[in-house]
Amino acid sequence: MAKSDDLARIIIGCKNGDAQCFSQLVDMFANRCYGYFYRLTGNHDISDELLSELFVKLVEKIGSYKGGSFESWLFKISSNIFNDHLRSKQRRKKLLEVQKKQLKAQITEPKKSDNEHIDKLQRQLKRLDMDTRELIMLRFYSQLSFKEIAQVRSEPLGTTLAKMHRGLKKLREFMGGLML
Amino acid sequence: MNGQNEENLKELFERFLDAEQAQRCVEDVQKAEQILREHPAPEPDDMLIANIKAEIAMRLPARRADVIKQFVYKAAAVAAAVVILAVASIRLFENGGIEPGEAVAYASIIPNEIWESDDIATDDAEIATFTAEVEQIEDEVLALQLGEDGSDSYSTIAELELELITIDSDFWKG
Repeated sequence: MAKSDDLARIIIGCKNGDAQCFSQLVDMFANRCYGYFYRLTGNHDISDELLSELFVKLVEKIGSYKGGSFESWLFKISSNIFNDHLRSKQRRKKLLEVQKKQLKAQITEPKKSDNEHIDKLQRQLKRLDMDTRELIMLRFYSQLSFKEIAQVRSEPLGTTLAKMHRGLKKLREFMGGLML
Repeated sequence: MNGQNEENLKELFERFLDAEQAQRCVEDVQKAEQILREHPAPEPDDMLIANIKAEIAMRLPARRADVIKQFVYKAAAVAAAVVILAVASIRLFENGGIEPGEAVAYASIIPNEIWESDDIATDDAEIATFTAEVEQIEDEVLALQLGEDGSDSYSTIAELELELITIDSDFWKG
């Protein structure tokens, strides 16, 4: 209860343009949001960019937050930022294909340095389709309920539950050999 | 604030599946989430966090300026709306100030034949009908002038005036 009161106070401060309150908001949510981006991209540099973009957006949009679950609101913006990133990546890919440059491989593939640090889970996550991966990460990092996740994704609760269950079951299977 | 803490997974799955299947789903979800917990994602480095905070601090004055701009625009819009409403009200009031009946064209009502006629009973009945019709039309014209009717006032007034002329001439014809 005290935590939610604190958050409410911080949000009011942010709305009033208090830099200290924004700083507290960054401290509260940076790790979870970074984890969300990293598990979706598997790339530190891109995750850094997306996290910076998220908090810059937050400064611009905090006035439009009208109450309710702050996590829902925050992760909806995070999800939009990630999807924008995917779309721009697709555009870049097409552009490079047209130009028939080898540069394509360098941009679309993760850097070698990232590959070295990719953990087992990250490798198995890559085997899931992007939508399922995003759903699982949204659940894990936002800590929202399934009902809230269904609202964020604008889909029926049953669909969210079914996709999540299928995705997590697959992930368990993929990780199965590694877990034993 | 954490929605997951208040969530009863079994109850949720039971809305779509039978109890046994729901239980299995809950276990699947919990075990998979355990795997995620056991493999934490890397954290952002301190330099990144410091850069983000610096970027925010840099953008805040611009945001404040935007907020002030928005406030000024809103205030200007409200002021403009008030001025428009005031002008519209004054115009409406001025139009409403016209004396009722001023714009109604009155005709000479009682023909000389009636004044000179000896058949009082027939003449009285005709005068009563005629007067009632004239009064009804006058009322309608007044209502239109006061804006109580949603229709096109000018054309309706013209129609009523024509009707008045027709009644008048019918009366003359007998």
